[in-house]
Amino acid sequence: MNFLAVSINHKTAPVEVREALHLNKDEIKNYIDELKNNVFTEGFIISTCNRTEIYGIPVKPEINYLDLEKYLIDKKPTVEIKGDQFQKFFSCSAVNHLFRVSAGIDSLLLGDNQILGQVKESFLIAEEKYFVGFLLKRLFDAAAVVGKRAKSETQISDGAITVSYAAVQLIEKIFSNLSKKTALVIGAGETGEIAAKHLRDKGIGRLVITNRTYERAEKVAEAVDARILPFSHFKENLHDFDIVISATSSNDVILTKDDIKKMMKKRNFASTVLMDIAVPRDIDPAARDIDNVFYHDIDSLNIIVEQNLKKRKEELPKVEKIILEELINFFSWYNSLEIAPTIKSLRDFFEDIRADEVQKMINKFSADDREKVDIITKRIINKLLHQPTVELRKAADAGINTPESIAKIGILRDLFGIDKQKENNNI
Amino acid sequence: MQNTIHFSNIFLPLLYLATLIVYLYDFVKGEKKLIHSKRLFLFLTLVFHTFYLIIRTIEFDHPPITNVFEIFTVLACAIGFAYFILELITDIRGTGLFILIIAFLFQAISSVFIKDLIEVKEILRSNLLGAHVLNALLGYAGITISAIYGFLYLALYKEIKTNKFGLIFDRLPNLEILEKLSFSSAVIGFIALTIAMVIGIIWLPQAFPDFSYADPKLIVTSIVWLMYGIGIILKTTGQWRGKKVVVLSIVGFLLSIFSTIITNFISRSFHSFY
Repeated sequence: MNFLAVSINHKTAPVEVREALHLNKDEIKNYIDELKNNVFTEGFIISTCNRTEIYGIPVKPEINYLDLEKYLIDKKPTVEIKGDQFQKFFSCSAVNHLFRVSAGIDSLLLGDNQILGQVKESFLIAEEKYFVGFLLKRLFDAAAVVGKRAKSETQISDGAITVSYAAVQLIEKIFSNLSKKTALVIGAGETGEIAAKHLRDKGIGRLVITNRTYERAEKVAEAVDARILPFSHFKENLHDFDIVISATSSNDVILTKDDIKKMMKKRNFASTVLMDIAVPRDIDPAARDIDNVFYHDIDSLNIIVEQNLKKRKEELPKVEKIILEELINFFSWYNSLEIAPTIKSLRDFFEDIRADEVQKMINKFSADDREKVDIITKRIINKLLHQPTVELRKAADAGINTPESIAKIGILRDLFGIDKQKENNNI
Repeated sequence: MQNTIHFSNIFLPLLYLATLIVYLYDFVKGEKKLIHSKRLFLFLTLVFHTFYLIIRTIEFDHPPITNVFEIFTVLACAIGFAYFILELITDIRGTGLFILIIAFLFQAISSVFIKDLIEVKEILRSNLLGAHVLNALLGYAGITISAIYGFLYLALYKEIKTNKFGLIFDRLPNLEILEKLSFSSAVIGFIALTIAMVIGIIWLPQAFPDFSYADPKLIVTSIVWLMYGIGIILKTTGQWRGKKVVVLSIVGFLLSIFSTIITNFISRSFHSFY
């Protein structure tokens, strides 16, 4: 299978290089226009913050990785890129790499469940530019199956593996319905903003942000559809909140144990979650001793992250087994695309139908006519199959598994359900 | 028929044990493949248990509610059924192991000690007694399940507070749900116990003319009933919540078990039938 792929990713290149090679949607479309027919007959480009990868079927056998590397380097000359920062894949290894990417096991965050969506988007862009043929369509379907199976049959994507998401996971172990809860985010820096976004995504009932600099609070509040509480007043209103996430850059504690005690009294000791994700900490850790106060800092959230990461690593063999199964499925299909077996399968398929029907009706003919019926029906089948057989042989003369022959054979097999017929016979 | 009963008596705890093992495996491994089969296991166990109770009733000519070990097998079945319905309604599947341990224990104790009782005191052949026992069993099943959810609440509460994120943290539903399940079971248990007590008070003077209101069973049951009543009011009015409510539920459950043991095996109460 003449299928090439090159990848520059978080394992091979530092962030500056990855940033430099990152392609937006329009850039990908422009690249495709240039690659199409010059380098690849069909292909697609994946570009995320952690990887840029080009996959494709070369227009001629002479095209190799170096052409692709050069192509990328020339287009993005802003940083120095070394050849060994590219991973190179060919044929089975390229398919294997795509499957690993789709399953999320090649990601920086092991088991990342966004990557399958990104692969799908890349494929759709290529499809929109008519850069996807019969083979790559089938390949993408197989990659999507791998991604979905990895997610549903294993726990590779279970549990939070970032601190801010671990905070949300912990909150969900305390409260059942976040839409009925109120949350206060203290600090409108990057960490506070991410935490606020996670809460908003989880459907928090009321989200309020407070920050020393009002303008910054306004900016974040607008981004996450939250209200603003003036920093000078937030302590008096603390009891209104079920969840308090603190992420300021303050060097001193901003909420003492006494503040929390007062708040809990006003709340009649209703459960309260305090997430202190600031370094140094914003809330006095002694607050955890108060009943129904669930205080957690960055260290305790890191425990969750590390545990989940360990569990995800333990799931790797299961995901690799799925990849192997789908590789076998894909290449079984691919190998079935050879011309000679296809002609034979097609003829067998028609002959089975003919023989079956003749057998059913044979008693309606006299003994003298039976042989004639057999000959006539065989002749009909031969005539019907003559033109398709000639076309398939022509495709075979053009080369082994050319895009044209793959498309013809694939369509033929799909239309007559030859593979399904075989599967049924095997059952 | 008696051979079938004897066989069922041995087979039933084994069936509960098998169901328990399936639930345990699912809880520890957390794989999704047993998610439906464990429910099927429980269903088949409960169907077999119902069959056992029916043939026992037919063969010995009385419902199995005339002594503590007969009651234990009905209680095991009631707890199992209550959990099965709870799992169907709420689709919360991580807590079955803990509830079914109790059902298994009740059934195992019953299977070891239960006897083929054909002769039953005339006094125990009353419709009012039937209604009393039925409600009492429902009540006990309710407060047992409430206490188990209470224990689970405390276990998860402790794990979260102390940053020990183990299996309990991974598999159990959140604290709010556990509190809700514990409270709802307690309310159902409390209502059933109230009905059982009212029927008992009506029936008592008819059945035992010389009974005393100072009977230990009556006193402890009244205390337990009062505790649950106060707890339910405090929780409903929002004065108590979380840990305090579940601790009260657990204490109530322990007191009820204590009162059953005292009345049946130690003291001389009208409630001792064995």
